[in-house]
Amino acid sequence: MAVCLQFLILHLQQTNIRMKFSLLFTFLCVSLSIFGQLKPQNGVIDSEAAFYALNNATIYVSPTKKLSNATILVKENKIIKVGVLLKIPKDAVIIDCKNKTILPSFIELYSSIGLSEVKPEAWKSRPKYETNKQGAFYWNQAIHPEINAAELYVKDEKANKSLIKKGFGFALTHQSDGIMRGQGALVSLGSNQLILSTVSPASYFSFEKGVSRQSYPSSLMGSIALIRQTLYDANWYASNNSERNLSLEALNTQLSGNIYLKTRDKLDIPRAQKIADEFNLTFNYIGSGNEYEIVKELKEIKSTIVIPIDFPEAYDVKNPYVSRQIPLSDLKHWEMAPQNPSILLRNGIRIAISSENTKDQKVFWDNLRKAIAHGLTIEQALNALTMIPAVSVGVDKQIGSLESGKSASFMIYDEDPFEKNGNLIESWSMGKRTVFERPNDTEIRGEYAITIADHQFQIEITGMPKELKGTVEYKTSVEGKLKDTTAKAFVELSDNDITIQFNVSQKEIKGSVNLRGKVNTKFGVFEGDGFLPNGDWAKWTAVKSGEKTDSEKKRGPDLIIDTSNYAWLPNMSYGFESLPKTETIVIKNATIWTNEDEGIIQNGIIVITNGKISFVGDKNARINPPIIARVIDAEGKHVTSGIIDEHSHIAISKGVNEGGQAISAEVSIEDVVNPDDINIYRQLSGGVTAAQLLHGSANPIGGQSALIKLKWGHSAEDMLIDNAPKFIKFALGENVKQSNWGVNSGRFPQTRMGVEQIYYDGFIRAMDYANEWKSFKTGETTSAPRKDLELEVLNEVMNSDRFISCHSYVQSEINMLIHVADSMGFRINTFTHILEGYKVADKMKGHGAGGSTFSDWWAYKYEVNDAIPYNASIMHEQGIVVAINSDDAEMGRRLNQEAAKSVKYGGMSEEDAWKLVTLNPAKLLHLDQRMGSIKVGKDADIVIWSHNPLSVMAKVNYTIIDGIVLFDNEKDRELRTRNLAERGRIISKMLANNNIGAPKRNFFKKKKGHYHCNTIGEELSTEENHH
Amino acid sequence: MKTFTLYIGIFILGSTALAQAQSKILLVNGYLHVGDGDVMETAAIGIINGEISFVKNSNAYTITPLEWDTVIQLKGRHVYPGFIAPNSTLGLTEIDAVRATRDFDEVGTYNPHIRSQIAFNVESKVISTVRTNGVLISQATPRGGSISGSSSIMKLNGWNWEDATILKDDGIHMNWPPSISGGGWWAEPKPKSANKDYVTQKSKLYDFFEVAKAYSKTEKNNKFDIRLEAMRNCFKGEKRVYIHADELQQLVDIIDFAKHFELDHPVIVGGYDAHNITRLLSDAKIPVMVIRPHSLPENEDDDIDIGYKLPFLLQQGGVQFCIQNEGDMEAMNARNLPFLAGTAMAYGLTEEQAVQSISLSAAKILGINKEYGSIEKGKSATLFVSDGNALDMRSNQIFIGLVDGQFIPISNMQYELFKKYTEKYN
Repeated sequence: MAVCLQFLILHLQQTNIRMKFSLLFTFLCVSLSIFGQLKPQNGVIDSEAAFYALNNATIYVSPTKKLSNATILVKENKIIKVGVLLKIPKDAVIIDCKNKTILPSFIELYSSIGLSEVKPEAWKSRPKYETNKQGAFYWNQAIHPEINAAELYVKDEKANKSLIKKGFGFALTHQSDGIMRGQGALVSLGSNQLILSTVSPASYFSFEKGVSRQSYPSSLMGSIALIRQTLYDANWYASNNSERNLSLEALNTQLSGNIYLKTRDKLDIPRAQKIADEFNLTFNYIGSGNEYEIVKELKEIKSTIVIPIDFPEAYDVKNPYVSRQIPLSDLKHWEMAPQNPSILLRNGIRIAISSENTKDQKVFWDNLRKAIAHGLTIEQALNALTMIPAVSVGVDKQIGSLESGKSASFMIYDEDPFEKNGNLIESWSMGKRTVFERPNDTEIRGEYAITIADHQFQIEITGMPKELKGTVEYKTSVEGKLKDTTAKAFVELSDNDITIQFNVSQKEIKGSVNLRGKVNTKFGVFEGDGFLPNGDWAKWTAVKSGEKTDSEKKRGPDLIIDTSNYAWLPNMSYGFESLPKTETIVIKNATIWTNEDEGIIQNGIIVITNGKISFVGDKNARINPPIIARVIDAEGKHVTSGIIDEHSHIAISKGVNEGGQAISAEVSIEDVVNPDDINIYRQLSGGVTAAQLLHGSANPIGGQSALIKLKWGHSAEDMLIDNAPKFIKFALGENVKQSNWGVNSGRFPQTRMGVEQIYYDGFIRAMDYANEWKSFKTGETTSAPRKDLELEVLNEVMNSDRFISCHSYVQSEINMLIHVADSMGFRINTFTHILEGYKVADKMKGHGAGGSTFSDWWAYKYEVNDAIPYNASIMHEQGIVVAINSDDAEMGRRLNQEAAKSVKYGGMSEEDAWKLVTLNPAKLLHLDQRMGSIKVGKDADIVIWSHNPLSVMAKVNYTIIDGIVLFDNEKDRELRTRNLAERGRIISKMLANNNIGAPKRNFFKKKKGHYHCNTIGEELSTEENHH
Repeated sequence: MKTFTLYIGIFILGSTALAQAQSKILLVNGYLHVGDGDVMETAAIGIINGEISFVKNSNAYTITPLEWDTVIQLKGRHVYPGFIAPNSTLGLTEIDAVRATRDFDEVGTYNPHIRSQIAFNVESKVISTVRTNGVLISQATPRGGSISGSSSIMKLNGWNWEDATILKDDGIHMNWPPSISGGGWWAEPKPKSANKDYVTQKSKLYDFFEVAKAYSKTEKNNKFDIRLEAMRNCFKGEKRVYIHADELQQLVDIIDFAKHFELDHPVIVGGYDAHNITRLLSDAKIPVMVIRPHSLPENEDDDIDIGYKLPFLLQQGGVQFCIQNEGDMEAMNARNLPFLAGTAMAYGLTEEQAVQSISLSAAKILGINKEYGSIEKGKSATLFVSDGNALDMRSNQIFIGLVDGQFIPISNMQYELFKKYTEKYN
């Protein structure tokens, strides 16, 4: 079979000539009509018709053009013409497609068809630092851009057929393992051609390590950092390739092409986009199905998003003791998921549709029709399955629609599958016809009079064409009287032959009557030979005596479709229906804890405008309050600045520790902020307005922090504090030396002695690195050093551009780190936990470090044996800036109580105790110019309390951030009622679906864990851990 | 500095509290929180040989100093019955991460014969920091298995476990099978689902109890069974059955279970969902030792303050309850028991109901209320005096503490370190 211009057929073995030929054919436009014959022919060539004319069909020529009673004219592997009333050449083979619908073949963009699964090696408890892949490849086993699907592709007929049955003619396949997965190949599923050439390479990235057992990366932020480092390495390699690296060479050829990044959650898209923007790349995304929840952010991204339509099945909700455990977020997603395609399109986001995870053609088409019922138009659906992917891969001139000149790649259905349950009956793959089914159009349903020998029967044929049923009626004589008797009959029509069998019980004839004959539809007559119970063969005829009665099987009730629902922000319990706005607010009659020289103002007034505090004063203050404002009468209430948690691990996705290396300065929590964590809302209800989300304590040098405001309902990006100072987590002691792992893991360091050396070595390397760059910049050396993200960050620390918050417990290690810092010329900004800070307060003071500690935790591990609850008081007395932090999602809700414990332990004054959770952490985080006290010009991060905030009776009435009321005690009650009503509404809908037999699944409850300092790995802890 | 009170206490009473000369002690002018819901603003409390000999109004009582070994003027300070920490590993563990110090979880599924009493470490440093916040009694409770073992009620003061024991083997603790199961471990979590084996697991528990009950019917068994012996008293009403469970399905099943075996003293420990069935629980007269109020909600949809207000919801629903503290770092956290009750007070309980929830209510549920749990004539002088409201972090400042009339040290190793390093800097 011939090849059209830009198509190159390649057999697996010939991939080595691929590059050469594809260039030749793509750019020189050489016509190659018989090039396909690479392989010698056994015998003479296969016979082919000159033309095929498929006529009388309904044809979706393209997403925007649908023809009825139309014809497609195919010559060899191409479409010659499509239209109505076409002149059909005399030498054409005519295929009657009456009542049939023809669609262009779909193109699947996310597939690993034809590639065998990569098997992981057995799990071992010891960490693994080396790659298994020996050779000139990248050091990390999850980075293998050199993998080329074309080289590994083996045609898998069964898998191909399953995808063809869904309507797909082409798939971009790749080895779906690892972070940089390699190059994909566009395969033709049904033709003799295997792999099609594309103008530019398509390659795949993801954030998932896959089967690699190498310890790094162990977290999502680690994957992100690894991608960034690899991209820098590829850039550097382009001009410094003295030592060859096949991975980076392959990557460099891919970067200008199409990159598809596989995501596991909507939030991965903005995360990946940050990388794309940094390196000026274009990523397309393989979505996860909940993108409708972040439409606002996606609008900014000009990518194609390949979305799955594996919509969740309804839960089995019959048992309310079980169904009450289903999170509302899951219920809401079940309801909203089918709207994902239509919502994205309505917002101008370009989508392709993938069949990933749809079990078979039934599920695929059911779900596609479900999406259509939920607002997707047929035109959009077809576009997302054909032209969008074709354009994305750059093959839209050849495939994706049925215009003349394009590849003859289409599917024929017995009914329009967008509207009804159409079955695929034929596929045409680049001219190759495969017939799955030759439907019998012969209509024989109706009533007939059968005559065989002397016997007369009436038969009514009903049922579906493929499942006919018959009912035979005859007379029997019972006690001398004739009586009507009926019997069921077997009826089967195969091609033009009919088989009828039934049992009779008459005096004359008793037993089975077996008839076989031909159908003459024109006259409504069957005739043939029959075999009677007495062993006789006899001629029989059946003559139609009545038309078919409408026996179409009654369909069950339809699924309930309701598109009036919408996603909350976030789409879960306590989510906002619309985002609250910055307000002008006047708080009057308040007891104001200013944290400033004014101390506590009685009967005070605060005015908030444009997200800032614009006025603070007592009742005698002269002020013209804004006319249009929300006025909160805080009579009897206490008003403070918001609580700031110096040490928090809430709102983090997939891993708080990058435990794969002892120094992981390159990773950043900023990349993995999770705005959907319910703990944000819970802590708002405890008066927390800002927090430092810290990397865990698995490494001597951990990762970079995210400083956020707890702006519930906002995006991760909007939660990050603008122009926030930069922080990094260091850690000492038992966690970094893995003391509580039970075994010696083999990772350096395993002692406090080793921890010191890690620091010296790291910072000496960082200095050398800085010197190399200096030499390059001053022209002393000519080749640019390799950019090292880890050492860059350490240099930020050396240059005081980044502050250290160091997890620390015992005095020896605190003393050690102060020595390291002093001798290397950097400063520890904050010792966090610092439970023996009281022993070395003088040294901390001398170094200029602050302390952020627990109020009273101890006894959870050996190194906290000497922890005392008086710690904060002693350090405070010694003039150290002291904060009380949580490191715990539960305690984070009541840091006011924890601060109050310093009044008990050590006798701190109430005003100073309150500063432990407000002004002091603001100072430690270098945010005190903007936060931490009630002062004109500072951010309006304000909490209104029912009582003195240090009292055990204190409850939050309002939490305000940047002038936005994000928690309101009254509103919270309303939200609870609303949450329940929403649950009730969706459960009823689900029950209705349960009851009509729609597919359903059992409920799986995901245990929501919480990160602590030493949680290793991506997954959340389900047990409490040590801190 | 408010901590001066500590010096005063030590000055007056000396720090070697165990060898004590005073056996007749009079406390005058205390703001008395009886523990049963009542208060007396100017109380005089007479203590003779470890027993409360009277509780009177100071204003109507004339002191005859010679009758007493010591008379202590409380000047309006608050007097509370010693708080009780039920269901606790306090004294059975010292440092959570050091396995050698963990003595609360024995191998085996049905372990009623395992006894916490003998592993209780009176000299635990953790205990010394707990009693200085007013918690003077704990229920040393084993963990693990289907039946974890037998707990004992212990005083947080004594030379050894023998003289620290208030009630030995007060009850068995069993973990009701989860109606929702799975979850894996933290590094490799698996999805949770409705526990398919729930009915089977529940039946096994029934089977074990049937055997144990039959065994208990006669005093002379053919074969001595150490396990079943430990169960015997559960069916005679002399040993309580503490059933740890949180989920609705579990709770309704436990009500049936208690009826079926005619248990005199079933107690639910946990009871996260108990507020949904207060009527059933109060009708069945099953008390609840409710989860630590400072617990995060189980589900993201739950009321964000569900832990805080659960005691109030049970109070309102007429369920007998007390507050316990099982959970993360529970031994060291036992000292925060008063503030757990304080939080419950902020979320609905009255102050005296909150006091009761960690004193008399706990004593009743544990079966020690004849001697402990409130400050009444004839009861043990196990009480403490705080400068202010002991349920509030700021004002919980212990002035003196007594266990069975013995003064407890109101210093601890942490306070010693505080003094030592305060001196370093002075």
